[in-house]
Amino acid sequence: MEYVNPLTGFRVDGRRPNEMRQLKGEVGVVSRADGSALFEMGNTRVIAAVYGPREVQNRSQQVNSKEALVRCEYRMAEFSTGDRRRKPKGDRRSTEISLVIRQTMEASILTHLMPHSQIDIFVQVLQADGGTRSACINAATLALADAGIPMRDIVTSCSAGYLCSSPLLDLNYIEDSAGGPDVTVGILAKMDKVTLLQMDAKLPMDTFETVMELAIEGCKAIATYIREILLENTKQLEYRRG
Amino acid sequence: MRDLHLPLNQTQRVRLEAALHELQSLAPAAASAASVTVADNIPVNQEDNILKGHGTSDHDGEVVATLCGVVERVNKLVYVRTLRARYKPEVGDIIVGRVIEIAPKRWRLEINFSQDAVLMLSSMNLPDGIQRRRTAVDELNMRSIFEENDVVCAEVRGFQHDGSLHLQARSQKYGKLQRGQLLTVPAYLVKRRKQHFHHLEQYDVDLILGCNGFVWVGQHVLVRENTESKEDKQKLSDEVDTFTPIETRKHICRLANAVRVLSALGFTLTIELIIQTAEASLSSNVEINDMLGAEFYVQTAEREARRRADLLRKKNGAR
Amino acid sequence: MVGLSEGEKHFIRGGIAQDLRADGRTRLQFRPVIVETGVIPQANGSARVRLGATEVIASVKAELGKPTVLHPDKGKVSIYVDCSPTAAPIFEGRGSEDLSAELSVALQRCLLGGKSGAGAAIDLSSLIVLEGKACWDLYVDGLVVSSDGNLVDALAAAIKVALSDTGIPKVNVSLNAETDGEPEVDVSDEEFLQFDTSSVPVIVTLTKVGKHYIVDATSEEESQMSSALSVSVNRRGQICGLTKRGGTGLDPTIIFDMISVAKHVSQRFISLLDSEIAAAEVVADE
Repeated sequence: MEYVNPLTGFRVDGRRPNEMRQLKGEVGVVSRADGSALFEMGNTRVIAAVYGPREVQNRSQQVNSKEALVRCEYRMAEFSTGDRRRKPKGDRRSTEISLVIRQTMEASILTHLMPHSQIDIFVQVLQADGGTRSACINAATLALADAGIPMRDIVTSCSAGYLCSSPLLDLNYIEDSAGGPDVTVGILAKMDKVTLLQMDAKLPMDTFETVMELAIEGCKAIATYIREILLENTKQLEYRRG
Repeated sequence: MRDLHLPLNQTQRVRLEAALHELQSLAPAAASAASVTVADNIPVNQEDNILKGHGTSDHDGEVVATLCGVVERVNKLVYVRTLRARYKPEVGDIIVGRVIEIAPKRWRLEINFSQDAVLMLSSMNLPDGIQRRRTAVDELNMRSIFEENDVVCAEVRGFQHDGSLHLQARSQKYGKLQRGQLLTVPAYLVKRRKQHFHHLEQYDVDLILGCNGFVWVGQHVLVRENTESKEDKQKLSDEVDTFTPIETRKHICRLANAVRVLSALGFTLTIELIIQTAEASLSSNVEINDMLGAEFYVQTAEREARRRADLLRKKNGAR
Repeated sequence: MVGLSEGEKHFIRGGIAQDLRADGRTRLQFRPVIVETGVIPQANGSARVRLGATEVIASVKAELGKPTVLHPDKGKVSIYVDCSPTAAPIFEGRGSEDLSAELSVALQRCLLGGKSGAGAAIDLSSLIVLEGKACWDLYVDGLVVSSDGNLVDALAAAIKVALSDTGIPKVNVSLNAETDGEPEVDVSDEEFLQFDTSSVPVIVTLTKVGKHYIVDATSEEESQMSSALSVSVNRRGQICGLTKRGGTGLDPTIIFDMISVAKHVSQRFISLLDSEIAAAEVVADE
């Protein structure tokens, strides 16, 4: 299949190889949570809700009481994928992604400022069209900032691949299932540090570097967008307060 | 937009945007300029030996924000004042909490903080009012004072070395709250003032604005010297005459809905504003449950824009 | 979810007895209802319904399948509800399984009718493509995003609106020469058949607190209930299903009274939903 048209250079959905899908972020979508956000990357749509910091519910889970305990659950809705999966929760993929999101966010949350407490991050996928774990991390960052939880930096994530001899930014589901490599990167935007790096399939080293750099560019663009949303939201809350 | 789960028609949408726009223009420009998000640089004069306060951290010699909020500078202290966040306790704050657990010689209360707060038996007045040492019998009778899920008004006494919060409820004003409803609003909407208990005589209603964002609206309770808890229990049966009288209930519901609308709009809660909003709904003949509807929501925003504009005009006129 | 003190419970019971609830509503008033369609573009039909702070999403997906041997002339519909942990921390992991199962069963009973397919709100024979060989399987999925009571009514309303938003692709069937062979089915990408939802019922849940019943209970009011009756009513005023919850027994005369109250309230609710559906169609046409 032609993932990149050799004549026009356009991808299956009309994008250029280094073009990201349409982004949309919104804060405060779940009124009962301490912080919440909706994040869309093209057709991938994800909701994140943060509860905490609050009293630790299950002391046996707490390893180090001088730091906040961060917990995360990733769940996909039954209707989120094209072919209905009958048991979308509790399966291995969900457990793995829950762990990945937790570790990525933990790298940024200043847990030592909230001892003897726990922070719950719940991510619900409404529509999956490739790049779900990136969308989840971006939504989680927005939700944590909305909840007023201190963080070192804004964490963003984006994926990139390599098909038909071109590095492609922000793969959708069709491109992801093409069998080519899929590199997912998560960064601490301002500090310029990589906190998540995952890849499947084989890539020669120099191609890998190009693809990873493309993903990092994507992450930085998302970070700029997220920063704008948070700043606008803060300004609005402040002027309304009076 | 948070809490804006209301069906607005086209005109209402336009009016709301106009009102919000006016509020924006009335706000001091300095606050908008000082807004920061996570990982933003905070401009400081390096030679001034700035003290880095809450919400800031050091990164490569620069002061960086760790929270979203507004930068405040007080003398040499620079910190980030957060908006939406869990409650940040200060000693002397009056708060409203809910009992979660009864432990040996203490109650644990949920107060919208990162941990549960502790109210020691020794920090609580005994029912018979006598000042004496707590005995083992007192310990066993803790449930007769406060049970699980009771709503309690208390004052922040201090922090323990492990960071947990201790409360006290020694004055007659503090204690169990019954016959009313508890509302939760974001903690930043409640400003610290001299008075947090408000006895609204004209309505026979008690309104308590807890600094932690828990607001209690209930029937007025006489503060008696020796409160007898047994009497209260009998009164809480389902007899019609033990229910709150309908007139008082109407006032309680109006005030509660006023608090809900104001917190949905993100306006700071002061007792004057709450009363004004409730009175406005009465004078415009708005039904109590319509106060949570789209029209009253827009009207309240417009009213607040006018009020702040008037305030600013008076301030400028007085100069 | 959060416990209530005796004083607060007493206040709630008093309010219900005096016909003035905590938010100012009378016993038979609904909270403001907000309806949106097409929130899940990848599905054949979807809707989001908000009742106060309760928010639910319903989606309908249609896949080609084979009819069962017992009912070769009917398609199949399955309803499944999940409670997202975003609504409350207790829904994480397996915490939501009990509630999800209860909601799924209540909705199935009210909307799908008995095992024979009799009394189903959706005409299953309209889903048949080729008798005995091919039919449409409708998968109706509900997701609770935020919970403040009255999940059953909200989910049923969302399902009704989602079905009205559903387009089943037109199919062209060509039969093979051998009668045993699988028919070739050509699924059209262009043309869609809209679902007729005028006969789909809504569910109105009446929660009994003390001597009175209330409609659209918040989670605080639900904690005070002695029993609840969910009645499924269609536009013609016919009862399509009943579910009783709660441990307290009810006198039969009270049940009849609750059913007639539910019928009365449901007509208003149905008109509201129908006007929202019509408004959504106008927007879609523009």
